[in-house]
Parts: sequence; C-alpha cells; structure tokens
Amino acid sequence: MVACVLTLSWSVLTPAATFRDALGREVSLKSSPKRIVSMAPSLTEILYYLGLGERVVGVTQFSYFPPEAGQKPKVGSYINLNVEKIISLDPDLAVGTVDGNRPGVVKLLDQAGIPVYLVNPRSVRDAIKTVASLGRLCGARKKAEDLSYGLYRRMDRVFQKTVSLRHPVVFLQINIRPIMTVNRNTIHNDVIRLAGGVNLSRDEPMTYPTISVEEIIQRRPEVIIISSMERGGRFEAVKRRWLKWPDIPAAKTGRIYLVESDLLDRPSPRIVKGLEIMGRLIHPEVKWEE
Amino acid sequence: MGGIGSNIMPRTTIKRPLAPMKLIRISLILCLFLFLVIVFSLLLGTAKVSMNQLWCLFVGSPKANEMVKLIVFKIRLPRIVLAGITGFSLSLGGVVFQALLRNPLADPFILGVSSGGALGAVIGIILGLGFGLGIPLMSFAGALLAIYLVLVMGRRKIGMESSTILLAGVIINAFFTSIIMFFIATSANDRLHTMLFWLYGDLSQSLYSQSLVIGPVLFIGFIILFGLARHLNVITAGEETALHLGVNVERAKMICFLVVSLIIGLVVSFSGLIGFVGLIVPHLGRMAFGSDHRVLLPVSSLGGAVFLIAADTIARTVISPSELPVGVITAFIGAPFFVYLLKTRGSGWARS
Repeated sequence: MVACVLTLSWSVLTPAATFRDALGREVSLKSSPKRIVSMAPSLTEILYYLGLGERVVGVTQFSYFPPEAGQKPKVGSYINLNVEKIISLDPDLAVGTVDGNRPGVVKLLDQAGIPVYLVNPRSVRDAIKTVASLGRLCGARKKAEDLSYGLYRRMDRVFQKTVSLRHPVVFLQINIRPIMTVNRNTIHNDVIRLAGGVNLSRDEPMTYPTISVEEIIQRRPEVIIISSMERGGRFEAVKRRWLKWPDIPAAKTGRIYLVESDLLDRPSPRIVKGLEIMGRLIHPEVKWEE
Repeated sequence: MGGIGSNIMPRTTIKRPLAPMKLIRISLILCLFLFLVIVFSLLLGTAKVSMNQLWCLFVGSPKANEMVKLIVFKIRLPRIVLAGITGFSLSLGGVVFQALLRNPLADPFILGVSSGGALGAVIGIILGLGFGLGIPLMSFAGALLAIYLVLVMGRRKIGMESSTILLAGVIINAFFTSIIMFFIATSANDRLHTMLFWLYGDLSQSLYSQSLVIGPVLFIGFIILFGLARHLNVITAGEETALHLGVNVERAKMICFLVVSLIIGLVVSFSGLIGFVGLIVPHLGRMAFGSDHRVLLPVSSLGGAVFLIAADTIARTVISPSELPVGVITAFIGAPFFVYLLKTRGSGWARS
C-alpha cells in the first residue's frame, strides 16, 4: 500500500518518460498524452492507425484521412500553423515534422510549455519507425511494435521480390504543370528504389526540380508514374500528351500510370500501400499473389 | 488646385519655432489610439479572450485563466509589439525618404530598400549566419546598397528627377526579388523554403527577443532623425533654400540615409517585406497636421504602429484558423492608395 502511494506520487512529481525526437530535443511527458495535436496530415494518419484517434484534439487542414479525422478542429495548414489555436486546444502533446513545421512555431509552443515531438522521415523505413516511436510516446508500445513489424514485412516483401531484377528507369511526375519530379533526397525516391526501379532524376541538385520534356525524352524512362489526386479526364489528357513522344520507351509501350499522390507523398502507413502498387507497376512480370 | 504645393510650407515658416504643447497634445492623442488598438488586438483572435479575462490578467487577479495568459502574453503581445515597432519603423522610413527625395510616393518598399534588406537577409541565411547579429547586418548592407543604387540611377545631370527615382526603385525591386527567388528555388536549405511567407510579410513567429534587438536601435535612430527634422523641412522646401539658409544638406542627407537603412534592414530581417505602410501613414499625417517634420516624424511613426497592428490583426483573424501574410493586407489597402496619390498629386513633389 505504502509502495503504491509512493509510486503514485513519484509518477506525479517526475516526468513519466523522456523521449528524444528527430532533432535530438528532449521531450518530457508527465503521463501518457491524452490531448494530442497533429501538425501534419501524415502524423494524423499514424495516430489513427495506432487507434489513438480519440486522443487527437486538433489536426491540420489536409488531414482528411481517415475521413473521421477531418471532423477534428483545424489548426491551420502544416506550413502555416495557428499557434494560438493549438494552445487554446490545451494539448499535452504536439507532434510535428522537421520539414514542414517552421522552427518559429516550435519555439513558440516550447515557450507555452507544450511538449513538441518532431519527426523527420526521409525513407519508407523511417515512416515505419515513426509509427513505432509515436506509439511508444503515447503509451501504445506493444500495439505500435506489432503494427510497424507488419508494415516492415510488407515493405521487405516488395523489396525482396524486385531487388535482383533489372531496375528500369522510372520517371515520377509529381506536378502536371510545370512538370516537376523528385531527387534522391525524397521519400518518393526511396519508394522507387524499393519497388525495383531507378529514379530518372535522382541526381538533380534540387529536391523537387522542374524538368523539361526534352530532358525526359533524352533520359528515356521505361515507366512514367503520375502522382496526383486527379482522376479520370485530367489524367487521360496528361497521358495523351506523353503518348505523343514515341521516342520515350514508356510512351511506346504505354506504361504510363496514375498513382494516388497521398500514397506516395505522405510518410504514413499508407506509403507501404503506395510501395506495393509501385512494385506491381514497375515489375508486372513478378508473381505478386501467392 | 493646391496639389502637392500646398504641403510645402511657405519659406517664411521654416524657422518658425514649434509650439511644444501642440506636439505633446498630438502625440498623446496618438498614444491613446495606440493603446486602444493594442487592447482591441489583444482581444481578437482564433481563441476567445473576453474583456473581463484581459482585465483579470493585467491587474494580476487570481481568477486569470492560465491558457488565456499564455495566449495573451506569449503569442499575441509579442506579435503586437513587433508589429508596432515594424509599423513605426516603416512609416518613419517613408517620411524621411519622401523628404530626402522630395517625392510623395517614396516608401522603403517602393524604392526597393526593403527588398535590398531582404536579399541581404537571404544571403545571411545561406551563409549560415545567426539572427542575433549576422543576418541583421547583412540586411542593413542590402538596404544600404539598394538606396545607393536608387540614388545613382536616379541622378541626372541637374539634380534628382522624381519619376526616375521611382522607376529606379521599381527596377531594383524587380532585380533583387528575382535574385531572392533564385536563391529560394535552388537552395537545399530547409530554412529558405519557408521564406516565401516571409516575403509577403510575416509576423506570426514574433518573439520578444526580436523586438529587444530592434527597439534600442529604433529609439536612437528616431532621436537622431528627430534632431534633423528642421533639416528635413529645409530639404523639402528645395535645395536652393537650404543653401540660402546655410544648412549643410549633404551631411544631413547622408546621416538620414544611413539611419533609415539600418532601421529598415533590421525590421525586414525579422518581419519580411511589408509594403505601403510608409506611403499611406505619412500621407495621412501630412493631410492632418501639415508637413513640418518636427510634428510629422512622431505623428507618422506612431500612426504607422497603429496602422500595422490593425492590419496584422486583420491578417490573423480574417480567414481564421489560417492566417494571411500581413503584407497582403497592407498592399491591398496601399496599392489603390498609391494610384490615388499618383492621380491627384503626380509623381513630382513641388514644382514651384
């Protein structure tokens, strides 16, 4: 009994746990967080994936997956956050990304005494690790480890099936006009690599370079993937434009595909789904179903 | 048609002593305005803060809500202070430039001085300098370079041509902005990508520490400029008059350009590019109180603070919970005002 009271008061007086985030900042939590603000759509997806949706009290503008996340109060867009709104939701934890959330916001939240945990996923593996680390942070360690192990297995399966095959050149178009793509420092590049392809623009100096049709013709991609939320007509139009260039192998063989951009842009559990789709598109010759 | 000529004092009044009571009275009225706009701005925002709660906070009542305290003291107040200081500085810069260049349309933004400061700041960030000293210094250097270029490009064989100066400003603005965009587009530096917000004026990340850097510089700068108010009067009246009165115009001009560049450079490095404040406010001040710079300097500066706090309050509430860059609001009000001035006053000052 005495011991019980002692441990109780101990847990009240001292932080239950200290975590280190992607920037090496120490994040101390007094107890398992009950009111979480998610400062990026990918983090919202992870929290819901972990079954922590009920603890989420605020999300960013484009957090529409899963659909019920869209009902939560909005705290601005992830690059243009409303700090005042976040504070007024009285959170005991805010999770954000190093890339999107501006350093000033983190400083303001720090000053307001709100623990901020930042993640910086740059690969599929990082995204899966984020699932595990957010789970640990929120006291759902076991579940998070099981789920992330499952995701890891799915990732590895795609990788193992394609790693020894010839890697075709893949052009990933992330914006229709102007034509934009990604270099090696992106999670998209990692998806292409794991799916057994070579990213056509991996050596570009800019992270999201704008690239000319001329350049693409010269580099002869064998597969063109258009990552977009557009469906139907708009995609068909873009596809027709590529088909006009029979010098491009992908156009000659008609290997031009649309992939829902949320599955490739967001370092969330769904990126594994994106990876599986990409694997099938880049290597249709593989026997995928068992 | 009085035109801009009516704003120029008859030569006989140049040396007239200023009634100090008048200045104090006007300043007090403006301070009251400033106080009201601050209270108003503290009350408005995404989170609800009532008059009652605000009162409890300021009298230190134990009933004060902890969250309201956070929002008011850590988020809204530092932002209001920085907005006030920024507005004060930009408007002060506007008045001084208008006097020095004898051009009612001069403003730190229109002349390209702000974008010069911004370019300096961007280069500072690329070089990995700190916000404490390095970046503000680079920003100062950029602002100074811009004003130097305006002066060189605007100089004709006989004195300064008013519209040429404005054109020089437009050119410099375009050129510097293009270099900034080049750096942003090509840089792998994550810090630069978020600077697009800053290019349209951004006060959303205000900290007291920023105001503490600008505050003292602004205070000393204002005193120096205020001390030169009579020189500014003389310069506005025309260089012949100045020669006639035996005023050392060149030295006064040099000091003014340096001080204003320093202030604008500092402000830009923290708040980004906020246009038209230095155009609207001094003009209203001139319409209300005449163009004696001993009155106009304090009036415009305080007015600038009031204006920018109000504009920023609109910026952060109008599409809540998202917010607009404050430069969007000032340009939305300022650009039509600029056209109005151009139509009614022309780009010249007095052509007597």
